[in-house]
Amino acid sequence: MAGIVEIKRLVKRYKGNVLALKGIDLEIYRDEFFVLMGPSGCGKSTLLKTIAGILDYDDGELYINGKDMKNVPAYKRDISLMLENYALFPHMNVFDNVAFGLRMLDKDEEEIKKDVMETLALLELKGLEKRFPNEISGGQRQRVALARALVIRPSVLLLDEPLSHIDYRLQRRFASLLKDIHRQISGTAFILTTHDQHHGLSLADRMAIMNSGLIEQVGHPEEIYNEPHTLFSARFVGEVNTFMGEIQEVGADSVWVKTDIGYLKSRKPNAADNLVGRRVGYIIRPEKIKISKTGENAENSVKCIFEYLNYFGHYVEAIFRAPHNVRIKSTIPTYNLPNFKVEDEYWLSWSANDARTIIKPSVVEGVDIEDLIYGR
Amino acid sequence: MFIEKYGKYLLLLPGLIIIVFFLILPLILIVIVSFMQIFTFREPTLTLQNYIDFVASPQTPTILLNTFGMSIGTALLTLLAGYPAAYVLAFKIESIKIRNYIISLLLVPFFIDWNARTIAWIPILGESGAVNYMLQALNIVREPVQLLFSRWTLLIIWLQTNILFAIFPIYLALIRIDPDLINAARVLKAPPHRVFYNIIFKLSLPGVVVGFTFVFVNTLGDYITPALWAGGIQVLGLSISSFAANFVWPYAATQSTILILIALAVLFVLFKIVDIKKLVE
Amino acid sequence: MGVWNFVGKVYIAFIIALIYLPVAFMIILSFKSGASISFPIERFTLDWYIKPPTGEYAAYLSLFYDRQVFQALQNSVVVSSLVAMISMFLVTTLALTLRRRIAGRDQLFYLFLLGFLTPGVAVGLGLNFLFNLLNLEFSIWSAAFINVIYAVPFGLILMMARFNPDLLLYEQAGSSLRASPLRVFRRITLPLIIYEVISAAILGFLLSWGEVIRTQFALKGIGTLSTFIEVQLGVNPLTPKWYAAGTLLSVASFVGLAIFAYLLSKTTR
Repeated sequence: MAGIVEIKRLVKRYKGNVLALKGIDLEIYRDEFFVLMGPSGCGKSTLLKTIAGILDYDDGELYINGKDMKNVPAYKRDISLMLENYALFPHMNVFDNVAFGLRMLDKDEEEIKKDVMETLALLELKGLEKRFPNEISGGQRQRVALARALVIRPSVLLLDEPLSHIDYRLQRRFASLLKDIHRQISGTAFILTTHDQHHGLSLADRMAIMNSGLIEQVGHPEEIYNEPHTLFSARFVGEVNTFMGEIQEVGADSVWVKTDIGYLKSRKPNAADNLVGRRVGYIIRPEKIKISKTGENAENSVKCIFEYLNYFGHYVEAIFRAPHNVRIKSTIPTYNLPNFKVEDEYWLSWSANDARTIIKPSVVEGVDIEDLIYGR
Repeated sequence: MFIEKYGKYLLLLPGLIIIVFFLILPLILIVIVSFMQIFTFREPTLTLQNYIDFVASPQTPTILLNTFGMSIGTALLTLLAGYPAAYVLAFKIESIKIRNYIISLLLVPFFIDWNARTIAWIPILGESGAVNYMLQALNIVREPVQLLFSRWTLLIIWLQTNILFAIFPIYLALIRIDPDLINAARVLKAPPHRVFYNIIFKLSLPGVVVGFTFVFVNTLGDYITPALWAGGIQVLGLSISSFAANFVWPYAATQSTILILIALAVLFVLFKIVDIKKLVE
Repeated sequence: MGVWNFVGKVYIAFIIALIYLPVAFMIILSFKSGASISFPIERFTLDWYIKPPTGEYAAYLSLFYDRQVFQALQNSVVVSSLVAMISMFLVTTLALTLRRRIAGRDQLFYLFLLGFLTPGVAVGLGLNFLFNLLNLEFSIWSAAFINVIYAVPFGLILMMARFNPDLLLYEQAGSSLRASPLRVFRRITLPLIIYEVISAAILGFLLSWGEVIRTQFALKGIGTLSTFIEVQLGVNPLTPKWYAAGTLLSVASFVGLAIFAYLLSKTTR
């Protein structure tokens, strides 16, 4: 299956030789919902705008529908783009905004009217045709922007941070709308950028975690969540407990890591070379941790002191203090919540199969494990 | 591809051609001519004599002092008079509408015909003008007082025609100050005069510099007002225009070069100290 | 608090009064009967505007009967209209290019600012040298262009300060929706900056309308209305006629300025 967008060693240089993209390799397939996720400044927006043709690239190759995009301006590319601030034309009403792309394709007005009204209906915008952008609500503006990008039926629909300028409820609504629409139309790949892991994980068929102009990992959300290649990916997707340590022993399919809270066992990482003595990050997801009063016969058990709870409605996050003042969090469904007492002792335990030992802090060179974990 | 790479510069071309032909080439020629013994472009004799003459001329110190003294003096005085007005406008008048009306009112005189607004001072300050009429009617003076044709007249006229240029940029700089900065300083117990100096004044400096530039440049180039109303004060512009009118072109060019150099030097130093682009960005 | 607010407002009123004092006197004087401009004014008249050249005014034609005034007025209108159109075009192209962070942007900005920073007398003199060197004749066009380089920086600053910060985004959105650069300009950019474009034209018109020094150097003969009056004031006795001329000129500028202010108060949705 050939990708609808193929990116090879793509490099984008900003003024003063700052590299915004440091050699990106990526393939995105037809009908796929692809999410570019990363902290602000990681280059995801730059990558999106480079695909759109609004930014030029300096090196590497970019193909859309198999065609080389070097020196092909944005308006000749089979894409459309929904910008972060929507950029609805303030001097045109909703109808004219949505019709803009079709008019540029020189379609006849009858057909334009039909397509526009269809798309407006699809996005629950009927009746707003004559309104101007400053006369409609934020949520409506967002849907108009989507309608405008969608109506020309591009092969690639690029969505730049579409979820970042509205309140939480609208974000959820818009995200499910996006998913619905993606299921309803065929032949269009959606590429969306976000810095929000919840939206990223829930929307994506596949996703790429970006960091400092590089891709940390590409894969299905579940794959990245369960098998992160780098500490950066692990910490960017979902909640995680990270302990710094050193590999002490290597077994057939497991390793022992010496950390501040004791010797911990995990599955063996996929690395061929000598593992003993390497500085690594040991991670365990909070929902994999069991809490008990007496301590269980588990592969990993740590005696901790309960500190406090963070309440999230359907689940809570319990914060414990392990030896050397290391904090450990564990998530528990609310219906199953025991009666914790502050400063009481508990045993936290987990199986080695749920924990991971990660050797690489990041694909970015020169990133120190300690800096990454302690946020220095 | 050439067009892809330099296309964005293509739109600059008409502007560049015009500014090169009507400004840059003339300025280059001024510098060249300023070294000529006699004005001719066919095998000209180049000499430093004009500059030596200028430096040696007994009138030079007076002319330079008049020219730059009056311009800088007017600029400072105008800023001094304009700052409080800009301050009141920015902080004491809440209604944006009224502010805009006041700014429009201030804007008008600059666009009123230059001749008209200068001759208008005669019936006010002239020997048989309104002020003298009033003074005599009130028996304060017996004989008409000479109010026109002094440096002070010039200063008042220039102040009147230029004050907008002091008020407007300062006002723009003041309204860009985040009110939270002022509030934060107050919460931190800064006394009013320190809030003003450390926050408001310092942040309005780009506006002050732009205002200075406007008034300084406007007055520096205006030699007709001093000629008419300042009782024959010699300024550089006037000297240039009279040498030019008598076709002593090389010497006029020398004076022009010096005028431009000093003016640009003053502005260069100012722009180095204060970043005026903050006002538009 | 209250007292200082009041003092501040009085101060603004005082500044406005100072600015309008000469204007008021100019208008009053233009209706004064008799050739002298001295105070007090005993009688008012419209003679200086419309009286045929007979009787006591025969020596000084009133405005409407002065052929030269009409010639100068015509020159003024032509020169200022040219300046308006040329500087409108230049300001738009320059502002649209210089808003991007292209290499040399700051240097180019200062280069165009130089048109305002250089004293008019020097530019005028230099232009004389250039035209002498190239054997060119001064004309309406040279007068227009010397004013254009003066007016462009004003328009440039005005337009760049007022650019909608999202303009670039709108253009990007347009080009991602299949609009060619020309269509982006026509359908998106121009409608969004049209008031600034027209304002730049009016600014150019007004600045050149009142300019004396530059125009004097670059236009020989009868000149524009402003340079004509400037010359006349030097050779003729000052009569209320010139105040009438000033009043008419001011009314014309005022109308232009009112349109300018109206356009500036508008913004595209």
